[in-house]
Amino acid sequence: MNVFSKLKQSNYQIAIVSVFLAIILASWKPHVLIEGIQRACLYAVIALPMALILGIVGIINLAHGEYMMLGAYFAYFLNVYTGMDPLLAVFPALLAFFLIGIVSYKAIIKYVLDAPELNQLLLTFGLAMVIEQLANLVWTSRPIKLPLKYVSSSATIGSFTFGTYEFIYVGGAMIVLIGLQLFLKRTNTGQAALAVGQNPRGAKLVGIHVDRTYLFIFSLSIALVGAIGAVFMTRHSIFPLVGAPFTMKSFCLIAMAGIGNLMGILWCSLILGLAENFVLSFRGYAGWADILFFALIVLVIMVRSHQRQVK
Amino acid sequence: MRISRYFLYIAILIILLTLPFYTGVYFLNVMDIILIYIALALSWDMLLRSGQISFGVAGLFGVGGYAAVLLNLNTGMNPLISIVMGGLAAGILAWLVGMAVLQLRGMYFAIVTLALAEIFRVIIRNLPDLTGGPEGTVLPSAIFAGNSTKTYWLAIAVAVVSVIASELFRRTRIHFALTSIRNDEIVAKSSGIDVFKYLVFIFVITSAIQGMTGGAYAHIYGFVSPEGSFSVDFTLLPIAMALLGGMHSTWGPVVGAVVLGVVSEFLKLQIPYGHLLVYGLIIVITILFFPQGILGTVGQRLKNRQRLRGSP
Amino acid sequence: MIVLKTENVTRYFGGLMALNGVNIEFRENEILGIIGPNGAGKTTFINVVAGIYLPTEGKIFFNGQDISELPAHKRCRLGIGRTFQLVRPLPGLSLLENIMVGSLFGKGLGQREARKQAEELCEFLGLSEITRDITRMTALEIKKMEIAHAMATQPKLLFLDEVMAGLNSDETTQMIDLVRKICSRGITIGIVEHVMRVIRELTDRVVVLDWGEIIAEGPYGEVSNDPKVVAAYLGEEN
Repeated sequence: MNVFSKLKQSNYQIAIVSVFLAIILASWKPHVLIEGIQRACLYAVIALPMALILGIVGIINLAHGEYMMLGAYFAYFLNVYTGMDPLLAVFPALLAFFLIGIVSYKAIIKYVLDAPELNQLLLTFGLAMVIEQLANLVWTSRPIKLPLKYVSSSATIGSFTFGTYEFIYVGGAMIVLIGLQLFLKRTNTGQAALAVGQNPRGAKLVGIHVDRTYLFIFSLSIALVGAIGAVFMTRHSIFPLVGAPFTMKSFCLIAMAGIGNLMGILWCSLILGLAENFVLSFRGYAGWADILFFALIVLVIMVRSHQRQVK
Repeated sequence: MRISRYFLYIAILIILLTLPFYTGVYFLNVMDIILIYIALALSWDMLLRSGQISFGVAGLFGVGGYAAVLLNLNTGMNPLISIVMGGLAAGILAWLVGMAVLQLRGMYFAIVTLALAEIFRVIIRNLPDLTGGPEGTVLPSAIFAGNSTKTYWLAIAVAVVSVIASELFRRTRIHFALTSIRNDEIVAKSSGIDVFKYLVFIFVITSAIQGMTGGAYAHIYGFVSPEGSFSVDFTLLPIAMALLGGMHSTWGPVVGAVVLGVVSEFLKLQIPYGHLLVYGLIIVITILFFPQGILGTVGQRLKNRQRLRGSP
Repeated sequence: MIVLKTENVTRYFGGLMALNGVNIEFRENEILGIIGPNGAGKTTFINVVAGIYLPTEGKIFFNGQDISELPAHKRCRLGIGRTFQLVRPLPGLSLLENIMVGSLFGKGLGQREARKQAEELCEFLGLSEITRDITRMTALEIKKMEIAHAMATQPKLLFLDEVMAGLNSDETTQMIDLVRKICSRGITIGIVEHVMRVIRELTDRVVVLDWGEIIAEGPYGEVSNDPKVVAAYLGEEN
């Protein structure tokens, strides 16, 4: 179909650009390539659940990063009280956060689904603040970290060494991406979800239970992002505000790839990850890396609006 | 406006202006904060009337503060003029951002503004020679040498400017444009309204007010810093205030600012960490249950009662 | 004199072709009917002429000027007005103020003049109690308000998009007279309708759209007997 081939084209374009960048970097600054890919997959794996909600439920969850933060603290306390390794905590986290997602949806999110986008933005913004401040209140802003030995594993190729633990993000991104694609295209629930995402009224007419679909997808997204938080916990120090930047960067990636384009998020996060690490590799300019996503999203918006004009 | 209303406003103004003569410094300092927040809540609401949300109030606020302080320090500019320049700087930045991003509006615009505060923080931290870096910059002396009466009058001036702007937005054709754009952009376009131009205009004006307010704040307290000047307080509180008091009006945000401003003073003493929780809760609760805020709901109930009584 | 001319206007939405090579001319001060089964592209045509969508291909000329690339608000100011099928009056504004929006921005009048023009339009259209609460208006009044809103921009070409929908027989007669009055002011009118009585009584010429293409053109009498037109309408469950 016309639409699909166009989509694939833009994915190919982005993919070619990022592969091209990757090749250049491999020869010039191999550190940047490796760490860039690892970071990119971290961004991707966090952005994918947000894209899921946006594409199917049609709401933007500004509290997305905060749920990740909660997942991280969940894994931490599980470790402190039961000694469970945070990587294993992924499984209880999935369950726990699926439940948390259900509660969030039923208590709060459901009510603004029909409201104007304004209300949705304000509500999820308020929710994000509430979660952040509760965390601040209960756990204070002091960063905490778990001393785990396996996170500092590394490998050496030729003359340079790089961390290998972070490839877990690459694995995670692949699992989530492929898992979601399979779920959406091969299972009944997934296909129903796709139908709801494209045309809620039409889906209702053919008997699909729209509200239940929204509930499931929303809770799935929260479950995923909570579990990712657990993995994140192993490698980074966490504090109540740790999730906020990821919300914004996730949105940047979704905007770049286009709503509904899960595959594209992977390629776009490659661009962002590689670009950020590239800037980080220059001693004097390292601080500027955090602006890149902003520049990218402004650029994307300008290009998109120009395209819309011409149409 | 009826004559009696005019007298009422002037009376209030006179009372406010003469407060320093029968109250203490602490009270005036609290009033300063409330007045600053009145300006921020009003300017946020003014943009909301067009149907767009800005989560970047803190960003423009901080930019105005930095511009005012740096201009004053490095060029010896008169502090009052530098405050106006702070507004100008914020306005110019808003113009750049708006021209780039307002074609897509909605959540794209909102999230770009959400990132603004962080972006400015990063820029300022990375230009330490110009801006004093992560520790910020301290002014050798606060404006008016810290005279609390004069700083109070400065705060009043800022709040009055925002009230006037808000009323202008309600009484001129801008009101018609805003309401129309918010209601349905396509119909607005078909009525001859240049939607994009209006949105950029409103974003620039409201951001300039926020910048000017930031400049005043920076001078009153005598310092700017990446953490302090761009604190999330300056985005979160104005939103909670405008929602609580009642959006799309002048007096709604003012009432909200007064109520929450007073409340915040108490809260800061009781719950030093996480008092912002209350404002987040206020936003969530008002969106879910009172979309029209206190003032709006009260106003609606009064109207309903009038209707039941059958008045014309 | 030709007020509006579309040259081969085509409009795609993704893979869907909503309009295909449409050539229509509006002669000065005529009432041109635009009819066709549901989904034929009638409202899309209005949207493309009014500037809500740009044509994928083709050109649009208004009084000789090429307006194909102009944004909607500029076309409004040039003199193209239209009504909307689904009317959402502006909340918080009175009936009069709703109408004033058109005068303020379509014509750039000051508030006082805009108010006067709005009052005059209300009188002209038979809308009384001009400051009444807009949430309690009858269907006929809402339609009149919508027309007043469009006329406030002082259009030279006015599109009426299914303004007769939902009106009873008397109200429809009122409306028909009203449209004739509007035409007598020198305005050219394009009227999209499903109610055939309206088309029969009002229009000088009719254009029939089906699947985005013109399948017939001419006075109502001719067109209504055209076998292609009959087939198109029979093809849809009315």
